[in-house]
Amino acid sequence: MIDMGDAHAEALPAPAGFGSRWIKIIAVAFTSLTGLACFVILAMVAIILGDIVIHGLPGISWEFLSAAPKAGMTEGGIFPAIFGTVALVLLMTLAVVPLGVAAAVYLQEYASQDSKLVSLVRLALQNLAGVPAIVFGLFGLGLFVEFAGGSIDALFFGGKLTFGQPCIFWASLTLAVLTLPTVVVATEESLRAVPRSYREAAYALGATRWQVVRYVVLPQSIGGILTGTILAISRGAGEVAPIMFTGAAYFLPHLPTKLNDQFMELGYHVYVMATQSPDVEATKPILYATVFVLLAVTFALNFAAVLIRSRIRRRLRST
Amino acid sequence: MTPIIEFRKFSAWYGDAPSLQEVTLQVPPHEILGVIGPAGGGKTTLLRSLNRMNDFEPRFRCEGDVLFHGLDLYRQPVDVAVLRRKMGMVFAVPVPLPGSILQNLELGPRLDGRSGGMDGRIETCLKAAYLWDEVKDRLDLAAQSLSGGQQQRLCLARSLMLQPEVLLLDEPCSGLDPISTAKIEEALQLLKKDLTVILVTNNVMQASRVADRTAFFLQGKLVEWGPTQQIFVNPREKLTHDYISGRFG
Repeated sequence: MIDMGDAHAEALPAPAGFGSRWIKIIAVAFTSLTGLACFVILAMVAIILGDIVIHGLPGISWEFLSAAPKAGMTEGGIFPAIFGTVALVLLMTLAVVPLGVAAAVYLQEYASQDSKLVSLVRLALQNLAGVPAIVFGLFGLGLFVEFAGGSIDALFFGGKLTFGQPCIFWASLTLAVLTLPTVVVATEESLRAVPRSYREAAYALGATRWQVVRYVVLPQSIGGILTGTILAISRGAGEVAPIMFTGAAYFLPHLPTKLNDQFMELGYHVYVMATQSPDVEATKPILYATVFVLLAVTFALNFAAVLIRSRIRRRLRST
Repeated sequence: MTPIIEFRKFSAWYGDAPSLQEVTLQVPPHEILGVIGPAGGGKTTLLRSLNRMNDFEPRFRCEGDVLFHGLDLYRQPVDVAVLRRKMGMVFAVPVPLPGSILQNLELGPRLDGRSGGMDGRIETCLKAAYLWDEVKDRLDLAAQSLSGGQQQRLCLARSLMLQPEVLLLDEPCSGLDPISTAKIEEALQLLKKDLTVILVTNNVMQASRVADRTAFFLQGKLVEWGPTQQIFVNPREKLTHDYISGRFG
C-alpha cells in the first residue's frame, strides 16, 4: 500500500507554529479514547451477561421453569413469575399499541402542525418519558387502582372489592402509560418517513384523509410501529417499580386467570428475593437463575416481535 | 364550444409570493392544452389549483375564479374527492405506490367503494397507457420494480382507472427516455377522444408535437395563449418568440 500520510505531508506542509507531530499525537489520542469508550461498553455488557450466565445457568432445570416456589423461595421454581411476566407484557402491548398509534396518527396526520395543542401533547410526551418509574407506580396506584378501580366497584359491583385492588389489569395499564412515549415517538417517526409523494398520489386518486392513512400511510409504517412495540416490550418487561403497588404479588399459590387477579413477575421476584428473603444466601442461586430467565423471557418476547415484523415486511414486499 | 375549464382573473399566492397573476384562460373539451414556460412561472400552481391539491399548502390563497363545467371550484361547495376523481393527475416523478401493478390500478376504484369486475377496465387502461404488452403476464409484480418509464405509464393508467374527464399532467416525461416519452405522447393523442388534457411541460417541442393549444407562462403571468400553430409560427409577443426559440428558459 502507498503511504498516503507521507504523500500528504509533502503536498500539504503542516502550518508553521503548530508541529505536525502534535497533530498526529492528538489524532492518535482521540482514536484511542473513542475506541476505549466502545471497549468499556463491550466489557460491561460482557461482565454482566457473563456473570448471570455463569451463575444462573446451573440453576435452570425443568422443575425450576415449571414449578412454583417452595420453602420460602429457597426451593422450587418460578413458573408463576414467568407466566405473570408474559401475561403482563402481552396485556401492556394490547393497551399501549392501539393508544400510541392512534395518538401518533392524530399528531402527524390530522392535527395542524403549528397548533398549540400539538406542541402541548408533544411536550407532555417528552415529560412522560422523563418521569421516574416509581412515580408511575404511585400514579397507577392512585389513578387506576384507587380511583378507576374504586369507581368501577362502586358502580358495577355494589362496592364489593373487585377492581379496586392491585391486579394485573391495572399493572399492565400502568406499564402502558410508562411505555406510551416510546410507541408514539417511534410511530410518529415512521409516519413521517412515508414520502409526501405517496400521500399526494393517493389524494389525487380521490382518497379522503382517512383513506390515505388506511391504504397508504399505515401499511408503509407498520415496520416502524412494530419497532416501537419492540422497544416498549423491552422497556416494560424489565420494570419493577411501576407494578410494585399496582398488582405484583410476593407469592401466589395460583396463576392469574382473571384481569383482577394479582400476579407474580420475574423482575419483582428478583427484587423480593434480594431484599425480603429471610435467608439471602440460600436464595442466591435461585436469584441468579431468575435473573437469567428474566433476560431470556425479555429476549424471547423481543425476538417474537422481530419475527412478526420481518414476516409482515416480507409480505409487503412480495406483493 | 363551451369550455370545460375556465380561469377568470385567477391569482394565487404561496404566503406573500404571488404564483399566478390574473390568469384568464379557457380549455375546450377534447383538446390538449400545452402549458410551457420557465421554472417558477406558475405552471404547476395552475394545474394544482384545478384539482385543489393546493389545499395542502397552509399558506396558499387565491382570488378570482376557476370554473369546471361552470362550477366555481373555490366559491361553491365542492366534494374534493369527487373532483379529484374527475381530474386524474400524473406527477413529474412517477409515484408507484407500494404493492403490485394490479393493486396500484385497483386503488382508485377501491377508494370509491367499487371493487371486483375490473379486469376489463384494467386491460383497457393499460392499453391506453401503452403498457399492456409489457406487463400483461405479470400484473402481480411490485409496481416499484418497473422501469421509470413503465412506472410513469402505470401512473397514467392508474389515473385512467378513475374514468376522469380531465387529465392533469405535470411534466410527465421530464425524467423519461425518448421511447417512453413517445409512447405517452401517442397515448395522449388517442385519449383526447374521451377526455381533456392539460399538459405542463418543460419541453417546448413536446408542446408543439401534441398540444392543440399552447399557453406560455412567465413569472406567474399568462403571456400568451392560442392555437399551438399560431404560438409557434407566429407568436404575438416577443417574449414568447424568445422562449420557444430557446433564447432563455
